Amino acid sequence: MNSPVKLVISGPVGAGKTTFIQTLSDSPVVSTDEEASEDIGKAMTTVALDFGTLNVEDYPIYLFGTPGQERFDFMWEVLCEGAYGLILLIAGDRPRDFPQARRILEFITTQTPIPFLIAVTRQDMEQVWTPEEVSEYFGVDPSLACGLDARDQQSAYETLFRMFELINASASEQVA
Amino acid sequence: MATNDQLQVIIENLRSAVPELRGVIVATTDGLAIAHSLSSGDANRIAAMVATALGLGKRICDTIGGGALSETSFSGATGQVYVYAGGAKGVLGVLAGPGSNVGLIHLEARDAAGKIQQILG
Repeated sequence: MNSPVKLVISGPVGAGKTTFIQTLSDSPVVSTDEEASEDIGKAMTTVALDFGTLNVEDYPIYLFGTPGQERFDFMWEVLCEGAYGLILLIAGDRPRDFPQARRILEFITTQTPIPFLIAVTRQDMEQVWTPEEVSEYFGVDPSLACGLDARDQQSAYETLFRMFELINASASEQVA
Repeated sequence: MATNDQLQVIIENLRSAVPELRGVIVATTDGLAIAHSLSSGDANRIAAMVATALGLGKRICDTIGGGALSETSFSGATGQVYVYAGGAKGVLGVLAGPGSNVGLIHLEARDAAGKIQQILG
């Protein structure tokens, strides 16, 4: 068995981080949901972390989900320690959350320079930003953004494999 | 009396009962400060942290079959923090220096946590 690959799942409130981890995890997900006392469009919110695991070939994958609110930024730092990659989830129909997503991305990548993938959820909504548009907003290469249905296993796996490609590419860059 | 005032009374009573405390904070379980009396530090940050500690503690308790979490604590060389569940919606954080009377802190703070539970429901 290889050593585990740790990935961090972050993004603004309501992007689908907990759902994404629940979709992928083979083990019961450790969630820390608490009743939301602000109006955030849902009843529960993550306060510490979500933790799920799965195996891809001979690699155990550990998924660590962060809380979305800025007041929990210390958890972004804690959870990113030793991570191989970051999947930043962002709801494509909620452009008002984009600045927050940008803050999270900058916060994490300046502290821990790891490969990242921006996964744009809610692509089935009518008025939605495409992954290409979102990559333009973030000023990153379009290959660093993809569409994601966090509820769908196939889509979640595609996002995961895209993340692995980016990690491998970055690893071979460092060798070269 | 408004909820915040009631909580402030509980906080002040706790501080007078244990004068060496460095601070007391009441927050929602999702990490928003409701009422506090802190000698130093950022209330919003501490509120988020005690809620995180409580949330994680609940899951740990759950996993080891420990039932509902009542309290957790962190002790450092120069300070400590005690975190109590204040019912389903509240969390009480009590900050103290080294060498504080832990027995007294628990006695008074558990009582305060019970009152917070009644207020926040």
